[in-house]
Amino acid sequence: MKTTIAAILGAGLLLQTGPPTNYKGLEITPLGVERAQNVALLDCPPGSNTQRGNARPGEEFAVVSLAFKVTPAFKETIVKKPVLTDATGKVFNTSVAIIDPGSRPEYQCSFPFRVPAGTKVASVQIDTASINVASLDKK
Amino acid sequence: MEIDRRAFIATLGGTAAVSLMDSEAKAEALEHYMEEQLDEQAAAAQGQAPQNPTVAELEAQIETRNYRRGVGNLFVGGQGGKVKRLEPMPKKPTLQDFFRLRFQPANHVLQSATRAMKTGMTEEVILACLLHDVVQSMIKVDHGWWGAQMFEPYIPEKSTFAIRYHAALRFFPDSDAGYEYPDLYYRIFGQDYQPPEYIAATYKMVRNHKWYMEPRLVTVNDLYAFDPNAKVSIEPFTDIIGRHFKSPKEGLGNDNSPSAHMWRTLANPDAPL
Repeated sequence: MKTTIAAILGAGLLLQTGPPTNYKGLEITPLGVERAQNVALLDCPPGSNTQRGNARPGEEFAVVSLAFKVTPAFKETIVKKPVLTDATGKVFNTSVAIIDPGSRPEYQCSFPFRVPAGTKVASVQIDTASINVASLDKK
Repeated sequence: MEIDRRAFIATLGGTAAVSLMDSEAKAEALEHYMEEQLDEQAAAAQGQAPQNPTVAELEAQIETRNYRRGVGNLFVGGQGGKVKRLEPMPKKPTLQDFFRLRFQPANHVLQSATRAMKTGMTEEVILACLLHDVVQSMIKVDHGWWGAQMFEPYIPEKSTFAIRYHAALRFFPDSDAGYEYPDLYYRIFGQDYQPPEYIAATYKMVRNHKWYMEPRLVTVNDLYAFDPNAKVSIEPFTDIIGRHFKSPKEGLGNDNSPSAHMWRTLANPDAPL
């Protein structure tokens, strides 16, 4: 019984992620969108930087989590920072950079975007790749 | 209480800094660290976020110390400890000699420059990142201006501009450029800190300058260069230093440049006058 419940919950969680997008051999899967006032500032793949960033009054961070899988097709290159587009088409930047993306086979990263409080997010772009995150936004 | 050894060493400035401390200073530092951890854990257990001090609370601490917060690292013992005898500089010291003998631990600036390099920034910005905080060995207050003055005779104008003004820009977030207001500043400047007028005026000037992105990119990399586990060295920057740092043949401090005295101060911080 326990196994069944776990399987159902697991399936539920899987359904909440978006479909993977392939960008130059990097398989990118959206995992979720969270909101926060104070965020860890960790590059991608994440190290152990100790700094954190703060939103100002009236703002918040929309934190988009993405899973990366390095496929054999990937060749080491500089990958542009992701940008976030909200439901109205406005674009927001993140301070997190993607550095040495081929250094680990798989990893997860969180990208904080400082947005006006209540902003509904639509998608994240990494260069030419567009990843829909609207369905993951619980706002 | 369980102590995260790496985190503790990082608070002291890394293993190099710890190796310079005597047993008494290490014990005192450990006690201080454990007290802080205990306070944070107690606050967390009560569901509170760690409390940041106010500007007034920080000012009230001034007379509890036997040093001033703006003093350079070379002139004060770590965590209340005593200073150590320094290894003498070579007769004709180079920038790399200063990194090895006076700017240690330089982990933060090396991490910052490494990030600038790996994200494809210009060599002027990479050099500025490499040098942006090292003057803190001599003086911390207004370190952007002091650092720019010290390096001005030797490096490109854009790098000098970046070093001088990063110190003003760091108080002003710019999410378009990818810079957030650091949590750390609530702790070290106070949660209600407002930058003084000259900083705000400098920010306004630089914000409209054609070279705005040079100092801004220094602040962007600055934020991501506090990883206690990062492995970095000056080696990857040898070529950039060679191309952009006009190293005087007499050695830094001996070349009669407008900032030669600053290099001599770093070389001989124990000189009484």
